[in-house]
Amino acid sequence: MRECQIVSRKFHIENACTLRVAKEHGAYNSLVKLKEYDPQHITQIIKESMLRGKGGGGAPAGMKWELMPLDDKKPNFLVVNCDESEPGTFKDRQIISKDPHLLIEGIILTCYAIKAKAAYIYIRGEYKEYQEILQNAIDEAYSAGLLKECDITIHRGAGAYICGEKSALLESMEGKRGHPRLKPKQKEPEWFFGNATLVNNVETIATVPFIVKNGADAYRAYGTEKSPGTLLFAMSGHINRPGVYEAEFGTNMLEYINHYGGGIKNGKKLKALIPGGVSCGVLTAKECEGLTLDYEALRSAGSSLGTGGMIVMDEDTNMLEALKNILEFYHEESCGQCTPCREGSGWSDKIVGRILEGNGTKEDLDKLFELADIMNGKTICVFAPSISTVLVSFISKFRDEFEAVVS
Amino acid sequence: MSQLVKLIIDGQDYEAEQDSLLIQLLIDKEIKVPYFCYHESLGADGNCRMCMVGIEGQKRPQIACDTLIKEGMIVNTKTDTIKQVHTDILELELINHPVDCPTCDQAGECSLQDFYMEYGLHSSKITIEEKVKHNKAIDLGSNVMLDQERCVLCARCTRFTDKITGTHELGIVGRGDEAKVTTMPNRPLSNPYAMNVVDLCPVGALTSKDFRFSQRVWLLESADGVCHGCAKNCSIIIDHNKLKYKDDTIYRFRPRRNDAINGFFICDTGRLSYRELQENRQETPLLDGVKISEDKAIEKAKELILLYKRNTSIIIDANLYTQEIEAIVAFAQEIGADVYAPLDIYRDEAFGDDMLRSSMRAANAQTIINMDINTQKPKKVGLILNFNHPEKFESAATINFLTHTRAETALTLPIATFTESSGSLTNEDGITQFSKKVIHKNIPVPTLIESLKRVSQ
Repeated sequence: MRECQIVSRKFHIENACTLRVAKEHGAYNSLVKLKEYDPQHITQIIKESMLRGKGGGGAPAGMKWELMPLDDKKPNFLVVNCDESEPGTFKDRQIISKDPHLLIEGIILTCYAIKAKAAYIYIRGEYKEYQEILQNAIDEAYSAGLLKECDITIHRGAGAYICGEKSALLESMEGKRGHPRLKPKQKEPEWFFGNATLVNNVETIATVPFIVKNGADAYRAYGTEKSPGTLLFAMSGHINRPGVYEAEFGTNMLEYINHYGGGIKNGKKLKALIPGGVSCGVLTAKECEGLTLDYEALRSAGSSLGTGGMIVMDEDTNMLEALKNILEFYHEESCGQCTPCREGSGWSDKIVGRILEGNGTKEDLDKLFELADIMNGKTICVFAPSISTVLVSFISKFRDEFEAVVS
Repeated sequence: MSQLVKLIIDGQDYEAEQDSLLIQLLIDKEIKVPYFCYHESLGADGNCRMCMVGIEGQKRPQIACDTLIKEGMIVNTKTDTIKQVHTDILELELINHPVDCPTCDQAGECSLQDFYMEYGLHSSKITIEEKVKHNKAIDLGSNVMLDQERCVLCARCTRFTDKITGTHELGIVGRGDEAKVTTMPNRPLSNPYAMNVVDLCPVGALTSKDFRFSQRVWLLESADGVCHGCAKNCSIIIDHNKLKYKDDTIYRFRPRRNDAINGFFICDTGRLSYRELQENRQETPLLDGVKISEDKAIEKAKELILLYKRNTSIIIDANLYTQEIEAIVAFAQEIGADVYAPLDIYRDEAFGDDMLRSSMRAANAQTIINMDINTQKPKKVGLILNFNHPEKFESAATINFLTHTRAETALTLPIATFTESSGSLTNEDGITQFSKKVIHKNIPVPTLIESLKRVSQ
């Protein structure tokens, strides 16, 4: 297994969050390229690198950058999405707490490329202590004169999962209720108070310095043809060493778990795995065999890579309880804008709760499938379709467990 | 004007402006599609997800309120898949709804009820215990009551206070099925147009404190009318009912859409003006505060007019219909009297705004101006004939023609209110509307023109 340190290079260096230590280890080196390249060139490099957004969707980042108008009188903005709330995902907090200067470096480069004079980091409210580390780093960067061309402001969220959805995030930053916006009819940038805005995940921006410094080919040297580069994959659940470990796309999933995670806890067997945060469909142990960690492989396995935050479940896991746990989260976090999601999230949670208490019927299982169908593809954002994915994957793949408890 | 394009809906050809909203075309052409959140005055919000239609070439059903019309579009609103989607989403809409129609004022004019009859008719699959409970009687202020359980969270009301009045009193708090409309503590709903949210609310969540529990809506008769609250002349619907053994009574005014004048809304003052209209009516003639017969009153009036010939002034209320004003002017010429319509009393700068409220609080003041009637106060004369003008002027004798009672000892003849007679009005922008007689009293009060005829015979 090839060691990759594109984003995680300074994670194990003590005090790398301070400017002094970070600089000793090469932070802000990529900024010399700004003298050499014009903004379009940087966007071109990012496009050639085929960097894919690391916030869960995996859309090509360069294409998004290209949508930004560069000769407009109105200001452009960069918004860094650090509202990391997906259960099972905790990679961004590693970056902002272990190597915040890498993110700042990425922000400077990105702002240069999209001609933005201001960047905002939308951080989830619960990340108070990491926010302080990040703020210290920003203050240091200001004192060192690194932020002459662009301003960085941290905006704390108030704890809503949906604000990680980019349009809801922008609504929230505009001081409104965090509701996703209707999707535009054509390809266009996001809008922050009516100004063109680029929204990228923390890790995406933190990958930019490496690519600008070393070139697109250096990044594409990692990963697969369609999913080039690396990702901060993470593990949690029934494994010996949970945590965040960078790996290249295309890494064998089970090898990764055994290599970095030290295998399943207490020598138990793997029963199921959710590959990239709870919104991705659950996989059975059998499905995990031979599976590689890249967008295409997981898609063809009927799930998705998401954020790469794997949740590992051993043979003793009660799948009903696991499903209930996830549904409770969705029930709590549905923003309540669209009817199918607002009512469907609560109702499915209640039905599974009923089954778990032993009062479920076979019709309840059918109803859950019906609900999954109603919630799929009929809402503004992908929150409700995620619930559908979870419901369908859990019940169809572990149907005997569900049928055993319903009358 | 953008280009007209052709499209097909349910196999029928239609023409519409390119890039206009599909749902508006469906509404205009009366092609049934259920919806809660869309409203022409508020635009699309896309939250209720009810207005799903099939569009050929699109894999999934699309909401019509977020679909722009394109050339050659093929739209299906009646396929089995689409019908199923309507039914399914309606079922979700009703999951936490209390279904308390028997005690709900909206029953009979409720979109949720109508759609259930059209697309639902399923039995509930959730027990009452499992339903989310919310507050059912919150006084939001401005005569608006909120039942959070009945709410479908279409956000029409919050969008109204955000986009139309800009007062932002209403908001949605909470997430998921705990989301609810509310006001902030100590910041009640308080703007001159607040009660329009009651009309906007497609269900029984927002009801009028003034109207609730007074009538079942299916018992009401609706007639077109014109609000007399100010010189704006907003178009209204007059909802009235004549219960057995009772008199014909107005229960509410509602806005009637008129894009030339008031759009979709009216102000609360105008909306509630029906109450004053029916209170303290002058129903019988009076002399020195004592009831007298109509014949005697007419006789007395004739005597006074003869006595003060060439020494009479006539005062006209600027709320009277144009036909009434014309009749009065003609009568004045006959008896050689001067005509005045003092307008100062109607001016109320505090009332006017740049929306629907005019600072000229007289419905037909424009006609007074158009007819060149003297708007100054009359000089002291022998006899004053006051046709419902709110002011009292000095004179040796007075004859009042009044709709409502006043502390007066002069000779008083009752006349019908504007809902009890017909006529036309011209608003401050020069738009003329005709208003028909709506209310038929058990014992009718003579109209101004009828009284005038009798006096001048």
